[in-house]
Amino acid sequence: MDFLRPLTWDEALAYKAGRPEATPIQGGTDVMVEINLDKGRPAALLDLNPISELTGWSAEGRTVRVGAGVTYSRLIGELGSLLPGLAQAARTVGSPQIRNRGTVAGNLGAASPAGDSHPPLLASGAVVEAESARGRRMIPIGEFYTGVKRNALAPDELIRAVHVPAATGPQYFSKIGTRNAMVIAVCSFAIALHPGERRIGTGIGSAAPTPRRAVAAEEFLAGELDWDGRSALDPGVARRFGELVAEAASPIDDVRGRADYRLHSLSVMARRALGWAWKDYAGRGSA
Amino acid sequence: MTTVAMPNVGSALDRVDALEKVTGRARYAYENFPADLAYAVPVQATIAKGEISAVDVDAVLQLPGVIAAIWHANAPRLAPRNGDPELAVLQSSRVAYRGQYVAVVVAETLESASEAARVLRVRYDADEHDVELRPGHPGLYRPDHVNPYFPTDTEQGDPDAALAAARVVVDATYSTPAEHNNPMEPHATVAVWDAEGLTVYDSTQGASNIRDTLAPLFGLPPGSVRVISPHVGGGFGAKARAHPHVALAALAAKQVGRPVKLAVTRQQMFAVTGYRTPTIQRVRLGADADGRLTAIVHEAIEQSSTVSEFAEQTAVPTRMMYAAPNRRTTHRLVRLDVPTPSWMRAPGEAPGMYALESAMDELAIACRIDPIELRIRNEPDVDPESGRPFSSRNLVACLREGARRFGWAGRDPEPGIRREGGLLVGTGVAASVFPVYRMPSQATARAEPDGGFTVRIAAADIGTGARTVLTQIAADALDAPMDRVRVEIGDSALPPAWVAGGSAGTASWGTAVVRACEALMDVLHGRAGDVPPEGLEASADTTQEVRAQRRFAQHAFGAQFAEVAVDMDTGEARVRRLLGVFAAGRILNPKTARSQLIGGMTMGLSMALLEESVMDQEFGDYLNHDFAQYHIAASADVRDIDAVWIEEDDPGLNPMGSKGIGEIGIVGTAAAIANAVHHATGVRVRDLPIRLDKLVHGVI
Repeated sequence: MDFLRPLTWDEALAYKAGRPEATPIQGGTDVMVEINLDKGRPAALLDLNPISELTGWSAEGRTVRVGAGVTYSRLIGELGSLLPGLAQAARTVGSPQIRNRGTVAGNLGAASPAGDSHPPLLASGAVVEAESARGRRMIPIGEFYTGVKRNALAPDELIRAVHVPAATGPQYFSKIGTRNAMVIAVCSFAIALHPGERRIGTGIGSAAPTPRRAVAAEEFLAGELDWDGRSALDPGVARRFGELVAEAASPIDDVRGRADYRLHSLSVMARRALGWAWKDYAGRGSA
Repeated sequence: MTTVAMPNVGSALDRVDALEKVTGRARYAYENFPADLAYAVPVQATIAKGEISAVDVDAVLQLPGVIAAIWHANAPRLAPRNGDPELAVLQSSRVAYRGQYVAVVVAETLESASEAARVLRVRYDADEHDVELRPGHPGLYRPDHVNPYFPTDTEQGDPDAALAAARVVVDATYSTPAEHNNPMEPHATVAVWDAEGLTVYDSTQGASNIRDTLAPLFGLPPGSVRVISPHVGGGFGAKARAHPHVALAALAAKQVGRPVKLAVTRQQMFAVTGYRTPTIQRVRLGADADGRLTAIVHEAIEQSSTVSEFAEQTAVPTRMMYAAPNRRTTHRLVRLDVPTPSWMRAPGEAPGMYALESAMDELAIACRIDPIELRIRNEPDVDPESGRPFSSRNLVACLREGARRFGWAGRDPEPGIRREGGLLVGTGVAASVFPVYRMPSQATARAEPDGGFTVRIAAADIGTGARTVLTQIAADALDAPMDRVRVEIGDSALPPAWVAGGSAGTASWGTAVVRACEALMDVLHGRAGDVPPEGLEASADTTQEVRAQRRFAQHAFGAQFAEVAVDMDTGEARVRRLLGVFAAGRILNPKTARSQLIGGMTMGLSMALLEESVMDQEFGDYLNHDFAQYHIAASADVRDIDAVWIEEDDPGLNPMGSKGIGEIGIVGTAAAIANAVHHATGVRVRDLPIRLDKLVHGVI
């Protein structure tokens, strides 16, 4: 196995162009586990750690550009108010040691349906900044996940950053696991309220071959909510929203949980996350 | 026998090896690097049953750094006569379970050996396999005895007639899954052959035992084998006997004529280092309207491999827990194409008491009696099956003390009615028990000319604090301060000793240490305390003393209390409080004892909610064979846990007056939690673990 260590971004792109089979590695919290479990051996590892520009983030207008090397710990510490949904999800990732190493870009590269970043990225409407020696490409998150552990990156492309719209309304993330820490999601759900556009964002994790939105649930809810009056949530609406979220999923039975349990708990999480978000929104209105 | 006054024993002293451990100076098996060391990486079967037809050794021998590739066709012959057939590594072309060792590659580096093992082509003729334990399996049979030497079945009175006549009957079937011990330190062995024989650096619970196993396997007298194991990162029974990797390392080192290191990976451990058998247990209790038991029937079925019989004593605790005139216990086994199960912390008691103590809770509800009162009403005067008196039995005291501390009084037994927001809250109790064993051991005690003492015994400290407790015991027996006494353990060259198993380490080793120290003190008194320049030494062998012991029924007891909160929308069950109250003779070091007890209780919590080795029926593999998928309780799952004990003066045990505490902490915990979950939700989970989806089953 070759170990490639570019010092600049351009060098990284050149390496990837010459060795498209090389697996990029940043925190190593997923790539190293896969190697240790003998689930395939990359012909080469492309170590992005020396490229310091990847570890920065910047607010560009209403969007936050998060470099591919920004760890979950820094997301929690530095971006909790701008990207609350993503920061909440980051808090549930692994252990402190894992959060000190792992990155959202790594989650995107692995594209596991259980990755904790995906639901809030979907709910926020993030955009992935991919680049190769051929040029730069902006991939909307909804088009990024293409299959189980597969994504829309071309073989010579690397993730440089992810662009996440700053929150304009309440955002919540909910995850069910079998224990209180260091747990892969049995299933997860994220909601984002976008009051300016009277729009709802959702993201479902670990309950379909890819992370996905619950589009029908979003459209239903956007039309039912009392955006101006901020009146109390109709329990019937919340229940229907939960049902529509569950309908958007297509889970399987596996070691972590049964499919029917996942559908049930998704509707519970959707209802709850909506309840928390609406309480915040209605509370802000009266303040 | 009387216990002697002991100033150090009973004190909450820090571990004598703490500094060595936290500074990384304590050397574990893997950290030995003899000169000319080579690395061995085993190759595991990828079928569950069949024959190895060919291994392409020549191809890997071409790879850089590869020294040897060994399989049954070119392996040295071993002599496993009368020994454990699992240790007959590479002696046959037969594959008995997926993950069994079929070859080993030895190379100059770990990387070269790993790569060669990965690409080594093994061809098989596979047969149909059967890896599913199920009721009514046609292969079920009655083993000759159950672990370690208990009768397979027992019966008194007429339990069937008593059940038919009983006013109240509980008849329920419980199951527990396969579970893997998973000590923090995976197994590792470094094997070195020289003119003297074989030296093995191993991670083991018993150096003497490993020596006595390896010597005949390689046709050597025991004196030609030395096993060195000063520090061990946990075992939970998985290191109490030699597993195949120890034999494989020694075989590989012999074949290549160089020292060989073999480390078992976490994933490999799921096939080759033992596990707790899954169980299916039918418990029937018959009682009168007041809850007095008239019949107890506990029938267990379990699995073993086709290689070797390990019959766990699942129903044995039911033989002595409660009084009833009519009783039966049985064990049936089926030999499947699976790895051989072995000891895991409280074999028998841990799964068996989950079933019995769940059934007792069901009986309490059926009789409308408080579950503590039910147990008190069925307290026996003597051991119900043997008729022997108990040397001490303080279950009732533990239940009462626990009820007081936990706040049990006034508990409303009605299930499913205590809501806190979206949570349902409940409490549960279960009894705990573990037998008292003591086994022959030897020790020497030496007075050094500088005024210090050295005590030697091939005991093992697997993280329990044994080295510390033995130092306390020796210091008191020698009437010397702790810092003048050095205890050497973990080496088969020391006087032979029983393994750290059966919760019998301290009792067995402590007796030998006390007797050796007493003998030395006699010699010293005879010389008016004069120590010659070469020192003075005395030794003890407790074989006679242990054999002559009066035959009481001897057990430690405990009561476990749990409070749980269950989110009924998602099925998430969280344990808010765990309290264990134990009666285990004299507690020799409250600090290390508390760690042992809350460690056991945490493992019981883990057993209740999380641990489950899932058998892949198609491939015959435990498919969740890593820590990403085999979940053990994390710190965040243990909110409020406490272990306390009641004073127990039992002079009939041993010179320290102690009972074992290594295993009792896990016994009953899962039942207390399952009973609390029922109290909270009204859902009775009879199949561990209590997974989320089992609690919302009625909803979805």
